[in-house]
Amino acid sequence: MTAKAFALNGKIALVAGESKFWTKPVVAALAGAGADIAIAAKSTPKLTEAVEAARKAGRKAIAIPTDVSNGPQVKRAVEQVISEYGRLDILVNAADIQMFEPFLEITNADWQRTMDYNFNSVANFIRTAGRQMLVQKKGRIINIVSGLAERGMANGSAYCVSMGAVLQLTKTLALEWALAGITVNAIGTGWYTETGKAADETLARYIPAKRYGKPEELGSLVVYLASDITEFTTGQFMFVDGGLMAHA
Amino acid sequence: MSAQRGTLDGKVIIITGGGTGLGRSMALCLAAEGANIVVAARRVQPLEETAAGVRKLGGKALVIPTDVTDTAQCNNLIAKSLAEMGRIDVLINNAGIVRGEQRVPLWDITDEAWRTGIEVNLSGGFYCSRAVSKYFADKREGKIILVASGEGFRGQRDSYMYNTAKAGVVNLTRVMALSLAEYNIRVNCIVPGFVDTFENQPEEYQKAVAQARAAGAMAGARRLFVPIGHSGKPDDIGNVALFLCSDASDYITAGIFISDGGGLAGGFATTGYAPLVSLKEGLA
Repeated sequence: MTAKAFALNGKIALVAGESKFWTKPVVAALAGAGADIAIAAKSTPKLTEAVEAARKAGRKAIAIPTDVSNGPQVKRAVEQVISEYGRLDILVNAADIQMFEPFLEITNADWQRTMDYNFNSVANFIRTAGRQMLVQKKGRIINIVSGLAERGMANGSAYCVSMGAVLQLTKTLALEWALAGITVNAIGTGWYTETGKAADETLARYIPAKRYGKPEELGSLVVYLASDITEFTTGQFMFVDGGLMAHA
Repeated sequence: MSAQRGTLDGKVIIITGGGTGLGRSMALCLAAEGANIVVAARRVQPLEETAAGVRKLGGKALVIPTDVTDTAQCNNLIAKSLAEMGRIDVLINNAGIVRGEQRVPLWDITDEAWRTGIEVNLSGGFYCSRAVSKYFADKREGKIILVASGEGFRGQRDSYMYNTAKAGVVNLTRVMALSLAEYNIRVNCIVPGFVDTFENQPEEYQKAVAQARAAGAMAGARRLFVPIGHSGKPDDIGNVALFLCSDASDYITAGIFISDGGGLAGGFATTGYAPLVSLKEGLA
C-alpha cells in the first residue's frame, strides 16, 4: 500500500490528544506505513480499537490512558513511550475538542478547558517529545488543526483561538528547530463526518468538492509528512479540505 | 477617521478606470475633499461624466482617454497630467475588467484572452506606476495605490485571468513598496469585496443587473459570502482611498487595505453559519 519512499518501517509514532475523528485513521495510516504506535488519550473503546487495529496490521502498539489536559500526565506518557520503544520519531497531535458558543456566554472554565485540550496539551506533548528529538537530531511533529486556525467563525472564538495558537506554535518551532533535524508542520482540516455523509447540505454545496470529508482521507498526508523524504518541508500548513480554503 | 473637508486640498490625483464604477466613486469622494482629479480610461463619455461630477464639487478635472495596456498611452497620461495640472500627488491604479472576462473552460481560453486579462488587470498598473515612478522618485514624494480584489486571495471557478492578475497586484504592491521606500514613495493596495457600483455603471449593465436581481440571483449569492450581510457601497471604497491619499497615511506602505464586509476573514462556511456545540457534546 505504501510506496517505499514513504515507508515508516522501524519508526516510532506517538498519536496524542483528544479528538472525535482523527486518532483511529491516523493510527491506521501510520501503522499501515510500517510505524510502531503509541497512543496517548483518554481511555475509551476507540483507543482500544485503534491499538488493536495497529496490532492487526502487524505493528507494535501501546495505549497510554492519559488526561491530556494534565501537564505532568502528558510528560509521563511521552517518557513511557521513549522508555518502552527506546526512541520517538513521530509525534502527531490530534487534539480537537469542539467548542462553539457565543463569546459572551463562554465561562472561564470552558474557555480554559478548550485551551487546555486543544492547545496546552499540544504544547506539552511537544515539550517532552521535542527534548528527545533534539537528542536524536531527528524528528517529525505533525499538528492536526482546523482550517479555523486561519479563518474566523461566528460563535467559534474559543475554538478558533485554540487552533490558531497551535498553528503559530507550529511555525515558531519549525524555525526554532530547523537546524536540529526536526520538522514541524500542520495539517488543516475542513468539514468532516464519521462517514463522509453531509451533515448540512447547504454547507456541503459551499465546499468545492461538494461533499464532507471522511476521517481516513487525512491519513496519507500524515504519512507523507512523517516520512524521510519530507525533511526539507517544515513550518507548513497544508489542507485536506476538499478545496475549502481556496474558495472565494 | 473624521476627515475634515479639504483634507486633500490642492492634491492632484490620477485615477485609471475613472469613468465608471469604483473609479468614479473614488473620484467624487476625493474631489469632495478638495482634490483635483485626472480621470483616465478608454471610453471618453463616462470620463466626461465623472469630470463633470468633480467640477460640480469645485475640483479641477482633466480627462485623458487612455488604454492602460499601452505603454505609450500610460507615459502620455503621466506627462500630460504633469503638463496640465502642474503636479501629481497620487496615482490610483483602478483600471480592470471586473465583468469583462468570459467564463469558459481552460482549454477554450485563447492566448489573446489570457494576455488581455493579465494586461488590463495587472500590467496596466505596472505601466502607469512605472511611468510616474521617476517623477515621484526625483521629488522624493508620491503615493501609488493599486486596487486588487478579494479574488486575488482566493480561487474562483473559471476565473483565470482576473484572479491571477489580482493576486499579482497584491504582490506588485509589496515589491514596489519595498523598492520605492527609499524615495519616500508609498505604495498601498485597496482590496474591495463585493461592492455595489450599480449607480456608476453604464445603462446596459444596470439593465442586466436589474434582471438578475429580479430573478433573485445576485442578492442570494452575495449574502452567502459577506459576513456583514450585504454588498459594500462605493463610498466604502472611496473612503479607503481618501485615507490612503491623505497625509494621515504617510507612514503606511505595503499596506493591504481590505474593505469586504469580513469576507476574507470567514469563508470557512456559508455566511450566517454559526454552530452551537457545547463543550461536553464536543468531547463525546
